[in-house]
Order: sequence, then C-alpha cells, then structure tokens
Amino acid sequence: MEPRVAVVGIGHAGFAPITAGLSYKELMFEAAQRAYADAQVDPRADVDSFVCCSEDYLEGTSIFDEYVPDQLGAVQRPVQTVAADGLFGVATALMLIRSGAARVVAVEAHSKVSDVLTLGAIEQFAMDPVFNRPLGVPALAVAGLDMNAFLERTGLTEEHCAMVAAKNRTNALDNPRAAYPADVRPEDVEDSAPVYWPLRELEVAGRADGCVVVVLAAEERAGDLTEAPVWLLGAGWSSGSPTLESRTWGEADFVARAAERAYAMAGIEDPGEEIDLAEVDDVYAFKELQHLEALGLGTAGGLAEMLAEGELEADGDLPVNVSGGSLGQGNLFEANGLARLLECAEQLRGEAGERQVDEAYVALVQSWRGVPTTSAAVVVLGNEEGT
Amino acid sequence: MREKVARPDEVRRWPGDFPVAHRYTPGLAGDAFLTALRDRGAILGSRCERCAYTYVPTRLFCERCFAELDAGVELGPEGTLVSFTIGFVGLEGEPLDRPVTLGLVRLDGADAVLLHHVLDPGDEPLEIGERVAVVLRAPEERTGSILDILGFAVAEAESD
Amino acid sequence: MSGTRVAVVGAGMTRFMRRAQETGKELAWEAARAALDSCELTLADVDAVCLTSAPDAFDGVHMKGEYLSDGAGGFGKPFIRTYVGGGSGVFTAIQGWYTVASGMFDVALLVAEEKMSSTQPHPQGAFLTIFDNILERPLGPNLLWIFALEMNRYMSAYGLDKRDIASVAVKNKRNAAGHPAALLGQADITVDDVLASEVLAWPVQRLDVSPISDGAVAVVVASEEAAKRITDRPVWIEGVGWNLDTTYWTNRDLVYPEYVENAARMAYDMAGVKEPRRQIHVAEPYDPFDYKELHHLEGLLLFEKGKAPEAARDGVLDREGDLPSCPSGGLLGVGNPIAAAGLMKIAELFWQLRGEAGARQVPGTPERGVAQAWGDLMQVGTVVVMGNDGGPPKTAAGLPVVQTPPYTAGGHPLSDGGFRSALGAVDHRLGARYSWDAGVAVGRFLDGLRAGKILGRECRRCERVLVPPRMFCERCFRETDGWIEVEHTGTVQTYSICHVSWDMQPLDPPEMPAVISIDGSDGGFLHMLGEVDPDGVRIGMDVEAVWKPVGERAGSILDIDHFRPRRQS
Repeated sequence: MEPRVAVVGIGHAGFAPITAGLSYKELMFEAAQRAYADAQVDPRADVDSFVCCSEDYLEGTSIFDEYVPDQLGAVQRPVQTVAADGLFGVATALMLIRSGAARVVAVEAHSKVSDVLTLGAIEQFAMDPVFNRPLGVPALAVAGLDMNAFLERTGLTEEHCAMVAAKNRTNALDNPRAAYPADVRPEDVEDSAPVYWPLRELEVAGRADGCVVVVLAAEERAGDLTEAPVWLLGAGWSSGSPTLESRTWGEADFVARAAERAYAMAGIEDPGEEIDLAEVDDVYAFKELQHLEALGLGTAGGLAEMLAEGELEADGDLPVNVSGGSLGQGNLFEANGLARLLECAEQLRGEAGERQVDEAYVALVQSWRGVPTTSAAVVVLGNEEGT
Repeated sequence: MREKVARPDEVRRWPGDFPVAHRYTPGLAGDAFLTALRDRGAILGSRCERCAYTYVPTRLFCERCFAELDAGVELGPEGTLVSFTIGFVGLEGEPLDRPVTLGLVRLDGADAVLLHHVLDPGDEPLEIGERVAVVLRAPEERTGSILDILGFAVAEAESD
Repeated sequence: MSGTRVAVVGAGMTRFMRRAQETGKELAWEAARAALDSCELTLADVDAVCLTSAPDAFDGVHMKGEYLSDGAGGFGKPFIRTYVGGGSGVFTAIQGWYTVASGMFDVALLVAEEKMSSTQPHPQGAFLTIFDNILERPLGPNLLWIFALEMNRYMSAYGLDKRDIASVAVKNKRNAAGHPAALLGQADITVDDVLASEVLAWPVQRLDVSPISDGAVAVVVASEEAAKRITDRPVWIEGVGWNLDTTYWTNRDLVYPEYVENAARMAYDMAGVKEPRRQIHVAEPYDPFDYKELHHLEGLLLFEKGKAPEAARDGVLDREGDLPSCPSGGLLGVGNPIAAAGLMKIAELFWQLRGEAGARQVPGTPERGVAQAWGDLMQVGTVVVMGNDGGPPKTAAGLPVVQTPPYTAGGHPLSDGGFRSALGAVDHRLGARYSWDAGVAVGRFLDGLRAGKILGRECRRCERVLVPPRMFCERCFRETDGWIEVEHTGTVQTYSICHVSWDMQPLDPPEMPAVISIDGSDGGFLHMLGEVDPDGVRIGMDVEAVWKPVGERAGSILDIDHFRPRRQS
C-alpha cells in the first residue's frame, strides 16, 4: 500500500525516575525541539497533523488534550489525543498519511509520573468497579496471576524470568538514557522479595519520567527531510477482552493478532529469521517471554534455550531489549512504545554507540498498555538495507 | 532550555486531587447476577450458544459476536483453580500484615473464570488445577455485592 | 485527498437519560448493536473499532476506553480511543474517515459513550479538573464560568439581545419533541420560559444549558466499495477538519472561535465547498449552550460575525427555515452525554440526508450537511461535511423515501430514588493525589507572586510578553527570551456573576470571575473581582490587583486576593 511512511526525526527528554524542576510542558518542549531539529522541520510550517498520547488520571487532569498544543508548536493546527501507548499514535499517523490528510505528522507521548502520589490506587481504578475493585486487587496482583498461569502453561520457570530481568538491567548499563541501569544477576532477582508471588520486586519496572516525539513523513517528503529514513514497514494493533473474567490468561493472544497484521503488511513470513532486533514490552519480566512467544519469535522451549545460550543478549542472534527495556530504562507508561521505537531508530541508523547491534536492518517494536488492558501494538521498522 | 531550576529549594510543587466520588450501577446483567447471589446464593452466568462460551458473571451481550445474552445458566459452586498469586504488598507497595491469596477459578459449567480471594490455603501449597468451592456469606449478611462471596476454599477430597 | 471515499452506512443510539441503569459497556453495546442492525451487518463484518468518550472522571474508570472496548465491539479487533474533549463525538467520525480512507480497513464501527451520572455529588465535579492545575484550580472555577465568560464577551461585542439567543434553546427543545431518544423535548416552551429560568452564572440561565445525560451513539462507516455492497443509499463523508487552539484561553479574544473556522476551512476545502451558506443545506452545530450554536454557525462561515442571533430570531434556523440548524433537537433538547451527543449529530445528518428522519425531517431535498463539535478550554473545533450525491433516493412515484427506522435501542432510566437504592450499586472515592511539578516558568511565576510581582516571559521574535509565562513561544515555537515584570493593573476582558457553586448550591453573595488582561503584557489570566457591586462591573473596566499581606502569601495565584476597580492614583 502506498505511500510508504518513514520516521524522519526523533527526540527525547527526561528518562529519569524524577525530573524535578521541569513541568510536563517543558519536558515535552525539549523532546519536541530535538525531534524537529533531527527532522529539520519547522512545526509551524511543515507538520500537517499532531497526535498526542495520554490518559487523564496519569496527569491528574480531565480532558488532558487541552494542555498539549503550545509546547509542540501545534497551536491552531490539527491536533488529536489518542488514549493509548505511543505506538498507537504511530499507527494513527500512518493512517493519517495514507488517507492523504497529512504528509508530515508528529507523534508525542510522555510520562510525568513523578507528579503522581497514588499510582496504585489509580491503576486499580482501571478495573471493573462492581466486580473487581471491591476485592482490593492491585495491578501487581493481575500481573502475578498472569505470570503464574503463563509459567504453568509453558513450563518456563521463575529462573527464566529472573534471567530476563538481569539481562535488561545489565543492558541498561550501556544506555546513557536509562533510568535504572544496574549490575543485576539472575540470583539477585530470585532473591528479591516477592510482591505478588511468583512476581518479585526486581521483575517490576521502576517508574520514570520522560518524553519522546517522533516525526513521520510520507515518502515524497521523507527524502527531503533525512538522509537516513527509517521505514515503517508494518503496523498492527489489536485488543482482547478488557474483562478479567473472560480473557485468555497466561497468553498474549492480542499481541499475536497485532503481530500478524504488522507482519502481513511488512511482508514478513519468518519473523525469527527476518527480524534483526526487537524491543518488546517487559514492564514485568515474564512479559518479555510471553510477548516473544506471541510475536512468533520463540516457542516456550525455544525461549528457554535462547536464554540459556545468550541468544537474546546484545551480541546474540536475536537481541531483545538492548536498550535495557522498561526494566532498565524505566516504565514510561504511554511513552514506552516510543522509547522502544527510539532505540530501534538509533540502531537502524547505526547511531546506538556502545549498544550498536551488528547488521541491524529490520527491527520490531511492541507495546502493551499494561494491567488491566489487553491492548497491544506492533511496528516493524527497516532502514534502506532492510527494505 | 537556557534557564532551568538548578537548586533543590527552587523546585515548586502544587498538590491536587480529583475532588469527586463515583456511584456505579451494576447494569442490567449485573443486577441479575447480584440479585441471584443475594437471594439464592446462586452464581449465574450467560451462555452464548453461537460462540459456545459461558460468561461469568452474567453479561448482557457476547463480546465475541455481540449476541444478546440472558442470565440463564447457574454455575459451580465448585470449580478448578486456573491461577493464583500470593500478595505481600498493598496498593501503594506498603507491606501487608498478612499475605493475601487471590485466585482465578473456572466454575463448573463456565468458560470464563471468576476472580476472588482464596481462603485459608493452609500449609499445603496451592496447586493450579486443584478443585475449589465457593464460600458464601450467610444469607442474612448478603447485600448484593461480589463480597457476598467470601472466597474460594480448597474442596474436600470426598467432593472430588 | 488520495484515499478512497468513505461513507456512513448505518447509525444507532440509545435513549439519552439523566441516569441509566446500564453500565457504560452496556450502553455502548446497545448503540453499537443498533447501528450494525440498521445496515444488516454483524460484528464479524467490522474491521476496526473507533471509540470516543470524554473525561474518565465521568464514568469513573481510569483508561475508560479500554474498559468500554468490549461494549464497542473491540474484542479481537484493532481498537483505538481518541479524544478531543467535547469535540470528541464529531472527531470519531473523522477518526473513522481516516481509518477507512487509509485503505487499511474497509468497515469501521464508531462508538461514542458517556455515563455522566456516575460522578458524585454532581457531574459538574468532573469539570473542576479541566482547569490549569496550578494557576486556575485554586480559584475554584466551575464549568459554567467559562461559558458565561464567553457568552458575555460575545453578547457585549455585538450588543446582542438575550431574547434572540434564547430562541435557540426554544427551537432545539421544540425540535427534540419529535425525537424518540430525547431527554428534554418540549413542544410548548417559549422564549419567556428561558428568560424566566434561574440565573446560574450571568448571562447563563438554566434553560440556556443542555442537560447532563447518559447515553451512547454508534455509526458504521465503510469504503466506497464496501458501502455500495452494504447499502444503496450511502451518505458520503465529503470533508473533515479539526483544529486545536492555544491552551492559554485567557490570552485569546473569546468573541470568535477561530479554531472552528480553521477546522471548517479544512473540511470545506476537502469537500470542495466554496460558498458554505449556499452549498450547506442542513447544519448540526454544537449547542451545549444556546449561544454556542450561534457562535459556531459564525465559525462555520454560515453567518457573518455577530449575525447568527438575528437569523435565529427570524426563523432562518428553524426546521422549515432557510438553513435548518439542529433539526435533531441538539444537545439542548435531546441531551448532552458529551461525546455521544457529538456523534449523534453525525447520525442525524445521516438520517436527514437519507430522508429517514421521520418527524424531524427537514423539508426539501437536502444534499449536503455539516456537523460540528467544540471542546476543551474554548479551544477545539471538529467539523464533518456529509453529502448524498444529489439528494435522497426517490420512490417509483417520485416521492422521497421517508421512514423512521428503529434506531433507538436500549436505555433504562433510573429515578433519583432508584439510583440511590439500586441493588448492588458500588460507591467509590478514588483518593488520587498529585504533586504537580510547576517547572521553570510557573515555578518562577509563583515565586514572583509571593514577592508581590507579576512576571511575564518575553518573545523577542513576535514581540509579545506572555502572561502566564512559559518557556516557549507557541506562535514562533522557540524558547522565550527573558523575564519581564508587568503591571499590577489590567482590564476586564470579560466577566460573569455566578450564583451557584459547581455542585449547584446557591452562592450568596455571588462570585465574580473575570478574565483580566494585564497591563504591560499581551496576556492575562482568570481571577476574581471584588470590592465592586455586581451591577457596577463592566467589560473594559480598569482594575488593579489587591494582594494578600506579605506574611499570608504562599507562592500561589491566591497571593492576589482579587482585582478591584482601579482607584485614581
């Protein structure tokens, strides 16, 4: 389908547990300045449409879309808010460009979660008010239930999950943006306190502030804006049941459906062979494995082997979360997807420094909206060699 | 930006909240479920014949095919433990005095699971696949709430 | 535009009710099911789902789009919730348009839901949190203020007669009398009834305002190829436009909605509409308040600035008038479950342009209509132009096909008592707490207030002094250049005399919120007037800040106690 769409600029700000002394607007302004400079665009003249990603309760403001245009250069322009992770914003930009409504689109997502004092109560507020909330079910409990069902079904173990947590925290040591780099061994993870067993403290991504702005352009404009376009080869998104009672536990079927669409659009038939690196959701360590399985990048048994042989490490056959993932970079909430896209864009441009993966041509990005949702988006990116 | 707040005593914060509360009706399907639970101690579900799927609690519609459903199926009171978790922290991460156990149970006759507390798991470790049974509050204490169910208890061996 | 043409092929809605027994999911399903039934499709025919709903604080669910997704048909499908405040309902049609026009999906189901009755003690409470966390919320603003401030500015600028504006409320409530889903249809209401209704926040009176409601609306859109398979009477989405103005609403002249004009021009360009007043035959502008419909008709370029009220007075906007406006009955008559009410306008144009609006059908053969919604802090315009390619189909006898489809499904209203005593109803107060980082600009501004100074930021490129200050200039998209201390004096841009609190309790004495333009700056902010009789307040009045004593200042917008008429110095 035409036209082709490319990432032509990307910028970020924050990526710290607390960004004290910066308002969310100022955080967005810094990320936007960098993205527009990267794409060499003037948002007042060159960007046709703006997409922001946010949720009211994470901001403490109702109708948060009121507060986005000024710091993005989007005043008196077409601006919309998508109540979703940033990758859904990228999907929206893709549709806007393909429809002909825009040639250049800016997508923004941020987290200023350090403004929030009662995150647990807010996360619980996402659950059914009549049947779930009276039981006092924190988000971590839902993650613990899903982890236990996942391990039961696949035969993967707590040790495998600990290896994921250790890998990602250690990867973050090479990532200057990461908020939670640490020299963590699997045994440290297994020794950490259970929060909602089998889920342990070091398997839960710490929260962080940050903002990412991405500029996407139709092919006809992309050539003018960058020498190193990162092509959006495929995008897919899907939801499952939002209801705890009627969803498929222990399995991310919605990720599999999203991937199927993204692969079909990108013409990918054998993801394990064709994808050179992946940045996938790991807000809870077991989720990385569950998502890799749903993405068709490994079976339960295969993943155990890949972990044992270091194939998911930065220098392995399928580097996963070289950035450090959410465990290493911090949980950026609606900005998680764009943070992963940022890593892949840098990798595909050959700008990832210490973390640079050899022969990186095609990258996969996946996000999940967190408990209690069953919504996920998948994007496949490629550089000129990867198309 | 050229100018930033660089001194810790110059960071300004402002407190706030959402100064409202909410009242949630259980809806058309929820009303049927909670009425039966309160009055009869029965757990009702809704069956979609087209999708061959039985929901619990009751639902007005099938999320898979959009068919209109009724509250025509009675489920349980026993079922199978599909997953469980043992919690050591509260909503904001504060340590709990006593761990809590939550379980997902597929009641006999249902495809969906029901989420609730697992009561007194005792010394014997719980196992996924184990048989459990619903424990209800006494009839006179029931108000029409999911808390009219106290939780699940491991089923006695003879009831297997 | 390069994409495929997109048509509306089906629509359905629930009744609009003050309090629904249904959950939000159930309302969404009832509307979605009715919309699919109306075009004989099933959920399996739907390729993508687009949902909208205004703030989460209404339904009282964090990430409420996810919560509602199964009711909207999102199970197993590509699903996205968008929102632009009150503009959301019409925006969903825009979302549906680009979802299909992208060529990636053939059939999309659009759902808009709002359950406002959940919010306690009053749904207005959800609006307390739409204002700026740090600079406005401490003043205790309620939603009525901003409408009253805008309405006063609009009326004063053009010397408008309140009777002309009230005629819009009368028209819409009368129109709604023919609507099976309406909450407040009233065939015998008069202008005198509106003018005699309680003054809430002058100039806003109770009957100038649309009622708080629960409800849902759904619409099915399809690509040209799919549409022709589904129906012989598709209604085409000919143009879409949307536009968001600056957050700093107190820096703008509220007399005219430029953002609506921008959105309208985008939609008209796409639709090839060059003379809107001639080419648009029926309009569904956004009417949460009666004056808003008029304001928006002007923004839609259907009337000259300040001229829509006389058109209302002269019957031009009546169902039988030259430009029928809100033939549905609008928000004022049918009800205002925010996002759902916006999508209701798209559904109404669909029915009107198919000749299916029954008792509400506008006469003649309308070929093109425009729907519009508005939202946020007097900030968002969303516009959709729809057309039927040359008039509704004719029967063999040459008569228009007129039928009233069974598009209203569901809706179990609860009385006040029924709501209070509903079995199994759950009460929950989310104790969410925040500690917002004021950042550089607002942090320094607060420090300035504590020291008895009002600070602005200067942009040397556009030569403006910005109050409230920000580190960026939104016009130039560059960093502002430095701090400027501005005057303690200013001018009343607009004001209101507000007699009720946000939860509708009487206030005596009334509050006098005002937008104050600050001397020495190009901006201003919301604050309170004091030391003046309500009858003595005027737009354009010179005022001065009255500061709290030094020891009582806390680095807060409340360090200025109020503004009073400027004394001769």
